[in-house]
Amino acid sequence: MMVSSSVKTPVTVIGGFLGAGKTTYLNRLLRSDSGRYAVLVNDFGAVNIDAALIAAHDGETMTLANGCVCCSIGSGFLDTLGRILDDGTTFDHIIIEASGVGDPWRIAEIALVEPSLRLNAVIVLADASRIVTLLDDSRVGDTVRGQFERADLVLLTKVDLLDRVAVDSARSTVSALRPGVAVVETTEHTLPGLPDGAFRPASRFAATDADLTDHEHDFRRWSYSRSGAFDLDALADAFKALPPQLLRLKGACRIADEAMPLLLQMVGQDWALTAMPDGMAAEHDILLVGVGTDALPDTSALDAILDAALISPTSVTTADINRRQTAFTL
Amino acid sequence: MSQDTVVFSARKIVTMNPSRPVATHVAVREGRIVAVGSFDEIAALAGGRVDGRFKDKVLLPGFVEGHSHIMEGMMWSLPYVGAFDRRSPEGKVVKGVPTIDAIVERLQEAEKAMTDPDAPLFAWGFDPLHIGSVLLTRQDLDRVSTTRPIMVVHASFHISNVNTLVLQRAELDRTTNISGVVMGTDGEPSGEVQGIAARFRVFRVLGTNPLSGNLTADDVNRYASSCCVQGVTTVTDLHNDLADLTVEVYRAASRRDDFSVRLVPAMASVSHSPEQGVAKIKALRASNNDKLHYGIVKLVVDGSIQGFTARLRWPGYHNGAPNGLWYIAPEELPSIVAAYHEAGIQLHIHTNGDEATEVALDAVEAAQTATPRPDHRHTLQHCQMADAAQFKRMKTLGMCVNLFANHVYYWGDSHYDLTMGPERANRLDATGTALRIGVPFAIHSDAPVTPLSPLFTAWCAVNRVTSSGRVLGKGTEALTVQQALNAITIDAAYTLKLDHVVGSIETGKYADFVVLDTDPLEVAPETIKDINIWGTVVGGHVREAPRA
Repeated sequence: MMVSSSVKTPVTVIGGFLGAGKTTYLNRLLRSDSGRYAVLVNDFGAVNIDAALIAAHDGETMTLANGCVCCSIGSGFLDTLGRILDDGTTFDHIIIEASGVGDPWRIAEIALVEPSLRLNAVIVLADASRIVTLLDDSRVGDTVRGQFERADLVLLTKVDLLDRVAVDSARSTVSALRPGVAVVETTEHTLPGLPDGAFRPASRFAATDADLTDHEHDFRRWSYSRSGAFDLDALADAFKALPPQLLRLKGACRIADEAMPLLLQMVGQDWALTAMPDGMAAEHDILLVGVGTDALPDTSALDAILDAALISPTSVTTADINRRQTAFTL
Repeated sequence: MSQDTVVFSARKIVTMNPSRPVATHVAVREGRIVAVGSFDEIAALAGGRVDGRFKDKVLLPGFVEGHSHIMEGMMWSLPYVGAFDRRSPEGKVVKGVPTIDAIVERLQEAEKAMTDPDAPLFAWGFDPLHIGSVLLTRQDLDRVSTTRPIMVVHASFHISNVNTLVLQRAELDRTTNISGVVMGTDGEPSGEVQGIAARFRVFRVLGTNPLSGNLTADDVNRYASSCCVQGVTTVTDLHNDLADLTVEVYRAASRRDDFSVRLVPAMASVSHSPEQGVAKIKALRASNNDKLHYGIVKLVVDGSIQGFTARLRWPGYHNGAPNGLWYIAPEELPSIVAAYHEAGIQLHIHTNGDEATEVALDAVEAAQTATPRPDHRHTLQHCQMADAAQFKRMKTLGMCVNLFANHVYYWGDSHYDLTMGPERANRLDATGTALRIGVPFAIHSDAPVTPLSPLFTAWCAVNRVTSSGRVLGKGTEALTVQQALNAITIDAAYTLKLDHVVGSIETGKYADFVVLDTDPLEVAPETIKDINIWGTVVGGHVREAPRA
C-alpha cells in the first residue's frame, strides 16, 4: 500500500427541496446497522425512531442502541458540528441534512477545509412527482436548480407512485441539469445505504426491485501515476479541462518547488491541496485515483490532460483502470 | 394623592396622546402615571412631592425601538471600525474610521491595550460600501499584528476579514478552492472569508466565535445603557433562540429595580418546530414581568438587499445580479404562519425584497381566511420594497409594518445605483405610502446593523437623505417630525401590542420618559438627530445618560 488511510471522517451531505424525502432517507440511514453514524438533522420532530432503539435522549442529542447519534441542528449549525468533532467520539461517517431551501454544497465545503474531515459525497434527493414542476416554478426554480449544481449522486424518490413515462420525464429533466451525474430511482423501500465510495447503491436496492436494475449506473475508475512534479498553474488549467464525467479525484500530488507531495482532493470542479495528514506517506510523487460515471472518457485522454501539466520528463507506470485502488477510500 | 407620589415638572411635556398633546406636569406613583396636565390640574391635588429637576427639559414618552438585537450590547465589548460616528453605551461618540489607515490605527490602539498576547482581536462594523468599496486586506491587518489572530466582522455580520496568521492556522492558502475564501490579486487569499465553511474553519482555529458566545449580564447591561443614552425605554431583541441560559439572564436583569429598559424578546422560529415554538412562547409568557415581555415570534423569509440575498419580484436586481435566497420556503411559510396565528401569537415577519413580502402576505391571508382573528397585528419587518398594492393588502389584512428608515441614509446610494435603480430606490421604506393607505407603522434601526438611535431614525424618515447627500423620494415618502415621533413611540408600541402600557404619556401607563434638552417639534427638521438626550425615566426611576 503506497498511501495509508488517514483518520479523516467522511462526510456526506443530503440535500433536496422540501418534501423530497430527506427525512425518510435519514431515518433509513439511522436505523441501518452499517456503521456508527453522526447524523445532523434540521428537525428532531421528524426523526422517526422506535423508542426501543433509543439509548439516550438529552433534548439536543439522541443516542441510538446501534451507536449512531442524531443531533438537532437548530439554528446553531456551526456549534453543533463543532461539538461533534470535539466530543472525542469517532464516527464512521458524518451525515448532514441541508435545509430544504439551502445549498448542500455550501455545507459540503466544510469537509474540504476542515482537516479532520473529508468529503464523501453530496447526495441530492428529488421527488419524481414534483421535480419537473419545481424547476419551472418562478419563485423556487432557481433555488432547486442550485441544489443540483454540485451533486455527486441524485436519488429520484417515490418513483413507485408514478408511471414509467412520468419517471422517465423526471429522470431526463434531472439528467439535463447535470449530464453525467448518476440518477438512481428509489422508493421508500428501496433507498440505498450510504454510497461506499463508488456511489454504488446498496445491493438490497437491486434485489428488491428488478425493474430498476436497468437504470443502475456503473462507475469507472481511473488511476494516474507519474514520477516528477506538476506546475501549479498548469495543473489548475488541467483540472478545468477534465471532463464533467469525472466525479472525484484524490491522492498524492507533487508540485514543483514543494519538498513533499501534497494531498489532492477534488470533487467536481472544486479542489484543494493540503499537506499529507499524519499517518499518510506517499511513495510516489504523483498517484491519483479518480471515479467517474460509465461515460468517463478513455484513460489515455485523461492521462494526456494531466501530462500537459508536468514540468519534467516522466517515467510512466501502468495503471489499471479497473483495479480498485485500496489505497484511498474514495 | 398619596405621599409616595412624585410630580415631575418640565418645560414641556409632549405626550403623544392626541386628546392631551401637551402638558407641563406628570404625576407618578408605583411606577405608573397617575395624572398629566398643568401645575394647577395636578399639584392642586393633596400631597405629592414636586421634582423640579426637569424644569428646563422637554419630556416625551420613552422611545420604543421595535426592531433591534441584543447583539448591540454584545458588540460594544469589541472595538468599532465602521465609517460613521457611533455612540457607545458609555455615551462616548466613537469616531467613524472612513479609511483603511484609520481602521488599522484603531485596531493598533486596541491591540496595544490587550494583555494576553495570544488572545484573538475581534472588531466590528466595517462595510466596504461606506469607504468607496475599498477592501480591507490581510496585509492591512498584518500591520496590526502578525502574531495575534485578528478578525474584523462586517456590518452585515456575514463577511469577515482576517490577518495572515489566521489564514495560516486555518490552512487556507492559494491552493484552497472553496467559494467562501476570496483570492487577492496576488493569487493568495485576500483575508476576506464568508460562507459557512470558511467561517466554521476560522472560528475553530480561533477557538471562539464572538457572535455566538453565551449571553452575559454585562451584555444586557450594555444594551440597557445604550438604550438610556439614546432615550429608548422599550426595546426589542427581535430574533433569539431563547435558550434557557438567555431566559435566565433576562429574568434576572429585568427584576432589578435599576434595570432601565423594558425588554421585548422575539423567539426565532427557525430554532423550533411550530408546535414547540407555540408551547415555548406560551410558557415564557407566564414569566413576563413589567420589564420583560415575551409573546412574539420572528420569522425570516429572505436575506438582505445590499447583500443581494433579498428575494425580489421581476425584474429583480437593477444591476442584473441573480435573485436572492429563501430562508423559509414559500410553500412552507403558510403552515408556520397558521400555527402561530391560530395559537394567538403575534408574528413578526422579516421580508426585505418585494417577492418575500408577497409570499408573506399570501401566508397571512390564508391564515386569516382559515381562522379569522381580530387585531392580530402581524407585522412585516423591514419590508423595504413594498409598493402601494402590497401596502393595501397589509391594510386589508389588518397587518402592521416596521420600515427600515435608516437604510435610506446608510445604503440608499447603493440601492439607487446597484440594487433597485432610481424609481424603486425613491420609494425605499415607503413611510408616506403607509401613511396614505393607513397601515399602522413603526420605523427602526435593526441595531447593531445600524446605530440604535430613534431620533436619528426619525431624522432619516423626515429628511430621506443618503450618506452622499442624495435625497430619495422626499416629496412623496417623507414624514413630518410629528409623524416620525409617532413612529418611534406610540405607533412602534402598537406594532408590539404594548400601546396600552407604553408609547404615550397618559394616565395609567408606565412612567417611561425620554428627557431632552430641546423639543423636536420646535427645531429645524434637519437637526432633530442632534438634540441632546439627558437620559430616561423608566417606571419612575430616573437615569441620567452617561457621558464619556
